[in-house]
Amino acid sequence: MTQLLYLICGGLLLSSVMVLWRRELSAIVRLLVVQGVLLGALALVLAGRLDSVELVVVAIGVVALKAVLVPRILRRVLRDGNEARETEPLVNVTASIVAAAFLILLAYAASRPLVRLSPSAETQAVPVGLAMVLLGFFVLVTRRRALSQIVGFLLLDNGIAATAFLITGGVPGIVELAVSLDVLLVVLVLQVLTARLRTTFGGTDIDELRELHD
Amino acid sequence: MSTLGVVVQVVLLIVVAPYLVGVMRQVRARLEGRAGAGAGQPWRDLRKLFRKEPMSPAGSSWVFVAAPAVLVASTLVIAAVSPFVATVSPLDGVADLFAVVALLLLGTVALALAGLDTGTAFGGMGASREMTVAALAEPTILLAGFALSARVGSTNLSAIVERGQQSPGAVLSPATLLAAVALAVVVVAEAGRLPVDNPSTHLELTMIHEAMVLEYAGRDLALVEFASALRLTVLLGLWANLFLPWGVATTASAPALLLGVVAFVAKVAVLGAVLAAGEVFMAKLRLFRVPELLAGSFLFGVLAVSSSFFLA
Amino acid sequence: MSIGWALVGVLVIAGLGALGAVATGSRGRALVAGVSTAGVGVFGVLAGVSALGGEAFSKTIPQLLPLSEVTVTVDALSGLFCALIGGVAVIAGLYNIGYSDGHGSRTGQSLLPLFVAAMILVPAAGNVTTFLVLWEVMALVSLMLVLAEHRLRPSVRDAGVWYAAMTHAGLVAILLGLVLFASKAGGESFTALRDADLSTTTRSVIFVLVFVGFGSKAGMVPLHVWLPRAHPEAPSPVSALMSAAMVKLGLYGVLRVGLDLLGGGPRWWWLLVLVAGGVSALFGVLQASVAVDLKRLLGYSTTENMGLILLGVGAGGMFAADGNRTLGSLLIAAGLLHALNHAGFKTLLFLGAGSVLRATGLRDLDRLGGLVSRMPATTALFGVGALAAAALPPGNGFVSEWLLLQGLIHGLPGADAVVAVAMPLAVGVVALTAGLGVATFVKAFGTGFLARPRSEEAAGAKESPRTMRFAMLVAAAVCAGLAISPASLGPALTRVLEALPTVRDGSPLEGGVTLRLTGIAGSISPVLILAGLFVAGLLVVVLVRRGLPRRESLVWGCGGTRLDPRMEYTATSFAEPLTRVFDDVLRPEHDVDVTHHAESQYLIESVRYRQRVDDRVEAALYPPVLAAGNKLGAVLSRLQNGSVHRYLALGLGGLIVVLVVVGLTA
Repeated sequence: MTQLLYLICGGLLLSSVMVLWRRELSAIVRLLVVQGVLLGALALVLAGRLDSVELVVVAIGVVALKAVLVPRILRRVLRDGNEARETEPLVNVTASIVAAAFLILLAYAASRPLVRLSPSAETQAVPVGLAMVLLGFFVLVTRRRALSQIVGFLLLDNGIAATAFLITGGVPGIVELAVSLDVLLVVLVLQVLTARLRTTFGGTDIDELRELHD
Repeated sequence: MSTLGVVVQVVLLIVVAPYLVGVMRQVRARLEGRAGAGAGQPWRDLRKLFRKEPMSPAGSSWVFVAAPAVLVASTLVIAAVSPFVATVSPLDGVADLFAVVALLLLGTVALALAGLDTGTAFGGMGASREMTVAALAEPTILLAGFALSARVGSTNLSAIVERGQQSPGAVLSPATLLAAVALAVVVVAEAGRLPVDNPSTHLELTMIHEAMVLEYAGRDLALVEFASALRLTVLLGLWANLFLPWGVATTASAPALLLGVVAFVAKVAVLGAVLAAGEVFMAKLRLFRVPELLAGSFLFGVLAVSSSFFLA
Repeated sequence: MSIGWALVGVLVIAGLGALGAVATGSRGRALVAGVSTAGVGVFGVLAGVSALGGEAFSKTIPQLLPLSEVTVTVDALSGLFCALIGGVAVIAGLYNIGYSDGHGSRTGQSLLPLFVAAMILVPAAGNVTTFLVLWEVMALVSLMLVLAEHRLRPSVRDAGVWYAAMTHAGLVAILLGLVLFASKAGGESFTALRDADLSTTTRSVIFVLVFVGFGSKAGMVPLHVWLPRAHPEAPSPVSALMSAAMVKLGLYGVLRVGLDLLGGGPRWWWLLVLVAGGVSALFGVLQASVAVDLKRLLGYSTTENMGLILLGVGAGGMFAADGNRTLGSLLIAAGLLHALNHAGFKTLLFLGAGSVLRATGLRDLDRLGGLVSRMPATTALFGVGALAAAALPPGNGFVSEWLLLQGLIHGLPGADAVVAVAMPLAVGVVALTAGLGVATFVKAFGTGFLARPRSEEAAGAKESPRTMRFAMLVAAAVCAGLAISPASLGPALTRVLEALPTVRDGSPLEGGVTLRLTGIAGSISPVLILAGLFVAGLLVVVLVRRGLPRRESLVWGCGGTRLDPRMEYTATSFAEPLTRVFDDVLRPEHDVDVTHHAESQYLIESVRYRQRVDDRVEAALYPPVLAAGNKLGAVLSRLQNGSVHRYLALGLGGLIVVLVVVGLTA
């Protein structure tokens, strides 16, 4: 069971790094699907370990939202636009991956006191959640396309969710529900924003937003 | 008796190396629906080439002539000092993991200099690309070595292999698995296989390794071909013994050595077949995406080291 | 011979040599200067070797300097650096005989022995004043030596200005640090400083100040900007002396003040050193890997190697601060050994570059080539140096980098988070540096010496005179000795470490044929690797010797038969993939000029492509500083209106301010 937990966490981390490596936006969306499924699996495994029925419900919700609903919206955004690739990120892919190595090290080092506080299989894996948060931020900072921004935001959210699962065995269901709805709302807002961006600027390079300044 | 182990090992590698290339070509041919020339073809090619006269391009120097010998010699030294068949060896302690890596690099450098010495654009191009890939692969190799030696407390290859045999569970630890992935990428890059380099390409512009050796002919070419087969065997053998250490002889008795030989041949043949089969489904990566691949393997190396510390 | 007499010998020969070089005409001047420089070097080596053998020396000469006394103290740490500088000086002196024959300037030649003497005496200084005076003498003399060829190239002046500004900025930092140290300690002799009981804050301020000063001398990024300018522009023996010997005094300063006088210190000091070293190593090697000027390449490689040394010292200091003396002493020993190795191969490489420069007038790798058949000895010797600099076995650079890696990877058990993050990154940095270093020297050797000449100058090159080849041979022999038997330096390194109270811990390495580490399971045998390579190579050669003889052939040109040397790969094209991979860091500038035919814009007459890789650290950090300096200068120049009375009034005002301050604070 512990092995399975670690395996899922490894998968989460790997899929987050793969987001940095792939340029095809459709492939990135596919990675998000994988991540959503893994997150659901994580919740299920934890449900098994903690004997919690609530977590099973959460798991189903997570998969429905993150692996089905959100990717569907993203695919629609992708289909409407003509930008299939993340061209010219602000930091190139090689440097992004090296930076990812550093961020993951940082996550491990920073969460060490937390792990020491109550050493268990779950807390051992907490750095993975933190690393996902950092990687999500990194994507937000360095990628140009609006869709990539959504991806970074989702990565961030997945990281927070994973951390929450691992530390507390899942936040109370109602909070999880509220947060998930928020995420859905944000994705929808961003989708509208992307469409507006495209009609205004003809592309979704968010650096163009600078022109709105004064 | 332990000296016998070294001799057996070196002779075995020399004999097996061209067959490994033959097996890999055969696997590939069958998967592509061709009959293939048989596993012995590389040896037949080498025999033919050894009989032909060597040629030096006009304007080249002794560097061009000496490079194949240096390449073969550096690989033979690795074949002698690493634990391929037996961990007990009088040469144990002569070279550790880092020294072996440096010796491999020495061979690469010899060939790159020869490529530059020919004075053609192709030679220089191959040398330039090969050195770029080698330079970028270096961090991964050393970090993976770091991760492997952190468990053992030494970079001595025999010590790592013996520890792997004593605690088989540790081979499945996250640190070892991550290091295995990282090193696998590097082995592919160093051996010049797909997706980093295509060993059977006939287009000069896509070549890396082949562009450097374009000017070699006759027995020089035979040496270069033999050395690249030997290097491939050495790399696969090292990877196999570091991560699948079973069967390597820890005593110098005849049955143990025999088992070591059989295990080595089996492991290398299986790995070679897997690699060849994988190559069928793969295209060569654009040259400037290779650094991304190597950066990925570097990431795995870092994770391997940190998981050996943080998850310990 | 006792150390005292050896040091007297250094001074006497330097003085005689300088006078002699001034007195002789242009014919014999290089001989006099070269021989006396080598003589000074011999005495430096003698002093150093006796100190490394366990002899100690201390002497105070009162009233030689106003308000202070001159103290000379030589321990094993000083001895190591005296010997290193002396050794480089012997080789550079011998080389100078042939190199400057007939055209060495009077100033340049007569200052050469004085420069070496000043460098040898710096590590022998035993109090703050002596140290600072010698340091300044060394800086001034080296500045004049850098400027020796200013009539030949305008770029020399530019390099001189940079060097003068940076070296004096460094001096100010060291001066502030050491004067603060002496005033708080209540005495200026090193003994008094050692016994001083200071607060941690004061000690940290002192350390940071001297680290900045010594770091700039060691070519540490971002204070390295003078190095790739001054080292290439100086005459080649001076380049060798500066790059192989003088920068090491920055290392000496860090070790002496940080580990000896201040007695270790908190861990963040050494983390600072480690980070500075790592950044320098990476940045240096990246710039070297894309450089096309041979001597500039070697200059950046010096920044790289000093970075590796500082990285080792920093990591060693960190472990020592944590109480892990085994690793602390191993890493510092690795740093010291690399300093020796670097001195050996960098001397050889700069002298090789000097021979090329002398034979062809070129430093541009894009225009060299084909020297292997025209200058066979120089090519072979440069090859030996390049092998060592690339840290490949059986070169000597490999052994010290191996030691460095061993020290870094064994720190993980029992470490805390900082070490656990720092060590993998440090290993990554060392590995990438090593990898790029190999590419750099393949480029330098492969495009500079092999293939066919790319210019008429290179095609007309002639082998250097015998003395120059002999000097390079000596350097190569030193490299070979260091490569084959690093373990024999074990006792000497142990004595040096004993001079550093916080890391003292027995002998870090031992063994004869096989180099073993103490306290750590690790060994290699450079001799046996070399022997193995030799035997295997011989076997291959003997086995394949039979058969048809070798024949010369045309090269493959896709069907074309007349391949021009212009179609060869150049150094720029060799480095192109690396430039592209690291373009985020290097930011190369590309220019493409297309000239069209007069008749039609669809026909192209010529295309010009130019690529420049500037030092990005310099471009980012220095213009604002320079602009601020200019602004300040403009303000201050208002004070200067030509009136003598105003100048006198300023003097009086200054005096009054000083007196008021003294009166209020005393």
